[in-house]
Amino acid sequence: MTELKIPNLNRVLLAGRLTRDPELRFTPSGTAVCNFSMALNRRFKDQAGNWQDEPTFVNVVAWQSAAENIGKHLHKGSPVLVEGRLESRSWETETGQKRNSLEVRADNVRFLERFESTAAAPGPEEPSESPDI
Amino acid sequence: MSELRLADLNRVFMVGRLTKDPELRQTTNGTSVANFTIALNRRYKSATGEWKDEATYVGVVAWQKLAELCKQYLAKGRAVLVEGKLQNRSWETEDGQKRSTIEIRADRIEFLDREGRPAIGAGTPGTESSPEPVHGEEPAFSKSDDDLPF
Repeated sequence: MTELKIPNLNRVLLAGRLTRDPELRFTPSGTAVCNFSMALNRRFKDQAGNWQDEPTFVNVVAWQSAAENIGKHLHKGSPVLVEGRLESRSWETETGQKRNSLEVRADNVRFLERFESTAAAPGPEEPSESPDI
Repeated sequence: MSELRLADLNRVFMVGRLTKDPELRQTTNGTSVANFTIALNRRYKSATGEWKDEATYVGVVAWQKLAELCKQYLAKGRAVLVEGKLQNRSWETEDGQKRSTIEIRADRIEFLDREGRPAIGAGTPGTESSPEPVHGEEPAFSKSDDDLPF
């Protein structure tokens, strides 16, 4: 029997809505990065039999053209489907403390909102009907 | 055309190794909870063409029977496949600051080590019937009772 090795498996699939407008910025070398936070809802029946909603908040980062599309087309409340992996992010607070958090690095973000197809609306630059990225 | 509602989609699949032995505790009403951290590895090619390894550490929480099985069979260094959902966890630091993070609430944990399976601790009574075997081909232990709806 051949020996197995551990697969590098780190997959996340989420659907939710943006909790605020996405933040698009560019690294010094010009790469686009977009950070946003999304709220996922879980609906469940409590012990008394009533439906309850429980939100989960997740930070997401997207890069390059995906980042630009998100920055251009999404806003607070936009519904999205995100596929990606969990990644650690470290940073320093203003007082110099080190912090660590987990966020989702998106490799696929699908916009779940129907866009008004009026000529006035700023459409995606690439000729695609729905800006899946 | 009828209006759609947004799907409840929150699924994660991770394979990693435990960084420490799992911690098992009981809530005040007697429910078992296990916590542990897994290290995931990602191998990628750097800009200069070398292979690099990058570790990500993710907290996992399991409840009830699944929690007890984790305590029984898992230990530092063991490999697991974890399936579950992301959830928020917040806590206060010793100096009263609020912190929060995301962790995985496991629905299913598959024990991937074939050998040295039961992680029997020193205190395990030897007279009991032998523990359930945990092989690679063993079906995963799962828990779904309070996980409605799907």
